[in-house]
Amino acid sequence: MPTSKPMPRETEATRPFWQALREQRVVIQRCADCDQWIFYPRHHCSHCPSTRLAWHEVPGTGTLYTYTVARIPTLPDFVDEAPQKLAVVALDEGPHLNTTLIGLAESGIRIGMRVRPVFDVVDETGATLLRYTGIDTVLAGKPAAGVAAAPGPAPAVARRQIRSDDLEAMKSLVSADFSPWSNEIVVDQDMINRFAELSGDDYWLHTDPERARKEGPFGGTIAHGSLIQVLSSRLTIPLDYEVVGFTNMVNYGSDRLRFPSPVRAGSRIHGRMRVKAVEKVKSGTQMTLELNIHVVGSERPAAINDLVVLYM
Amino acid sequence: MGLKGEAAVVGYAQYRPEKYATAPRVFHLEQVADLARQALHDAGLKSADIDGLVIHGPQFHEAAMFVPAMCAEHLGLHLNFAEVVDMGGTTSVTMISRAAMAIEMGLCQAVLCVIPSRMAPLGPDDDPLWLAKVSRFGGHSTAFGAPEAEFDLPYGHMGQNTGYAMIAQRYAARHGYDARAFAKIAVDQRASAQLNPDAAFFGKPMTIEDVLASRMVADPLHVLEIVMPMAGGAAVIVARRDVAARSRHRPVRVIGCGERLTYKSPTYSQEMTTTPIRAAAEKAFAMARVAHADIDAAQIYDCYTITVLLSLEDAGFCAKGEGMRFVLEHDLSCRGDFPVNTHGGQLSFGQAGTAGGMSQVIEGVAQVMGRAADRQLARCDTVFVSGTGGVMSEQGALILQGN
Repeated sequence: MPTSKPMPRETEATRPFWQALREQRVVIQRCADCDQWIFYPRHHCSHCPSTRLAWHEVPGTGTLYTYTVARIPTLPDFVDEAPQKLAVVALDEGPHLNTTLIGLAESGIRIGMRVRPVFDVVDETGATLLRYTGIDTVLAGKPAAGVAAAPGPAPAVARRQIRSDDLEAMKSLVSADFSPWSNEIVVDQDMINRFAELSGDDYWLHTDPERARKEGPFGGTIAHGSLIQVLSSRLTIPLDYEVVGFTNMVNYGSDRLRFPSPVRAGSRIHGRMRVKAVEKVKSGTQMTLELNIHVVGSERPAAINDLVVLYM
Repeated sequence: MGLKGEAAVVGYAQYRPEKYATAPRVFHLEQVADLARQALHDAGLKSADIDGLVIHGPQFHEAAMFVPAMCAEHLGLHLNFAEVVDMGGTTSVTMISRAAMAIEMGLCQAVLCVIPSRMAPLGPDDDPLWLAKVSRFGGHSTAFGAPEAEFDLPYGHMGQNTGYAMIAQRYAARHGYDARAFAKIAVDQRASAQLNPDAAFFGKPMTIEDVLASRMVADPLHVLEIVMPMAGGAAVIVARRDVAARSRHRPVRVIGCGERLTYKSPTYSQEMTTTPIRAAAEKAFAMARVAHADIDAAQIYDCYTITVLLSLEDAGFCAKGEGMRFVLEHDLSCRGDFPVNTHGGQLSFGQAGTAGGMSQVIEGVAQVMGRAADRQLARCDTVFVSGTGGVMSEQGALILQGN
C-alpha cells in the first residue's frame, strides 16, 4: 500500500507511542511529579518543570471534542479520503489528540459522543495511525487507510425476477429513487495513464501531475470523463430485481451522457442506478436506466449516463 | 505600568492587495525601501528621523538571518532599536506595541514597522514551483521533530480552514449555531468595502444568501467566510510625542496593548472556544484606562467569520455565547451602530499575507486621523485593533486614540 501522504517520523521521545500503536495498544505519558497526563509525547512535563514522565497504557477511549468534514481535500494526497472527517478526541485521561473518524456516517457524528480507538496500519512496514470510531460501531473488516469500509464487492441483495415481456411489472420498476451504492473503486494515476495510452487522449490535465498541480484548475490531474463512464463495468450495483425471459438484450447506447464534476486522481468512486423509463417498442421492451457515478462523499455526480437497453 | 501613550502612529503606506499571479514581483529589500519612502512621505517625516525598525522576519526573501541589519544598510538607516516579529497574523498589532514600548523606554524616537508581502522575482536558478512547494503544508512545519509534522499532517490535519472549522463546530455544540449570523459578519464588512476603492471586493456587493449558497469548504465554513490570500505589503511609522508633533496628520497614540500565546494547535488548548484575545484585550483595556463603550470602531482580525465572532465575545464587546445575537442586532458596517472592519475587513479587502493584519491597524489609524474618505465615521477618536495568528494560536490587542 504505497502512499504519498505525510507519514509520522518518530523521534526518540515519541517512539514508545508509535511502537505501541503497532501492537494495537495506546500508551501516553504521565508526569510522576505533578500527575498530569500529557500528549503529544515529549521529554519535559508541560505542567511542571519535571522530566520524570512515565509511559502508561490507557484504553484509548474518549469523547469527541470537535470535528469537521473537509469538503475540499486538505492536501491533494488525501483525495481518497474525501470528504475527510477530521476530529479532535479528548482521551478519558484528559489530553486531546488529532485524528480522523472512520466507520461513521456524517449524520451519526455528535460532539460529545463516546469514541474508541481503531488501529489503522497504513504502510507495508506496519506503521499505524490512531483513528477513531463510535464506541459501539462495528467496523466491517480491517480498515483501509482512512476508509470506512474497504473497497470491495457490494453486498448481495435478494433479487426478484421480472419478465421482460411483463410490461406492467417492468413499468413498476420506474422510480425517482436510486438503488443503494455499488462497490467502490479507486481511480489512480496509473489507471488514468493506462487509459490515456489506450485512448490516445494524453492531455496534460490527465497525465502530468506536476503541471496539473501548477496550472490546472483542480490542483492536480483528473480522470478522463470517458474513463469514468466505462468504469461502470467495474461497479456492481446492488439491484433488487433481475430481468429475465428474453432471448436477446441489446445495449442501444445512451440518451444522455454528462460529466458534471471532475474526478481527481486517487479518488474513490461508486455508482448507483434507477430505472428512468420503460416502454413497449416494436421489437420488445426498452428500458432507460440512469446511472450516476460519484466520487465517494461528493453529492454532485461525476458522470450521468442514461443507458438504453432493449430486451427482445 | 504599561504604555503611557507617549508614542503615536504618524503615517502609513499600504499596497492595494492584488492577485499573486498578476502582482508585481519585487525584492523584499526594495519593498521595504518603497513602503518606507511612502510612509515617510505620508507622515511628513524624513528618513533621518527613523531610528527604529520592526520587521516581519519569517519568509523574508533575501535572507533568513540578519534581516534588520540588511534593511538598515539598504535604506541607509542608523538604528538604535531593531526587532524581528514572528507572530503570524498578529505580527502587525504586536509590531506597533513593540515600537511604542521601545519609544517609551527611550531607546529610539521613530520606528518603521514594515511587512513586505509581494513575491520576489524568480532568479535564474529558482524553481518556478518553489511557492507551490513551500506553501504545500501551509503554516505547518514539516521539520523532523516538529509536533505538527508528526501528529497533524499524517491525519490530514493541515492548513487553517479545518482548524477554524473545528473551533466553529465546537462553538456550535456549546452555544448553538445560526449560520446567518456568521454570514452577516462577512456581509456587513462587504457593505463597507463598497465604499473602499482599494478593497479587492469593491464593486461586488454580497448578501447573506450569497454566503450561505457558496461552496462549503469545511463544515460549517463557506468559502465566502474565508479570507482570500493576496500579494501586498504595508508600513506604519510610530513616533515619539515630539516627533509626532511635527508630523502631517493627527497623531494616533498607542495607549493600550496586550498579547497572549499558549499553543500552536488549538487541539492542545484547554477549551478552543475561549480564545487568547481575552487575556490580550483585558490587558490592553486596563492599560488604556478606557471602557468598551469608549471604542468608536473595532478593527477585528478576520481570517474567518468565526474569528470575528469569538474575538468580539472574548475581547468583551458582548458576553460569551451572545456573539450571534450581538451581530444580528447591530449593523457592523461603517454606516452602522457598531462599526467593525470599516475597510471591508480582510474578508473583503483581501489578505496580503502577514501584512493583512496591518490593514486593520491602518484602517483604525485612518479613521482616527479622519482620512477614511467615503467610509469615514462621524466620530472616531478611539479604536480597538486585534490580531490573530495561526489557528487562534496567538492574539494581540491594541487600543489607539487620537490626540
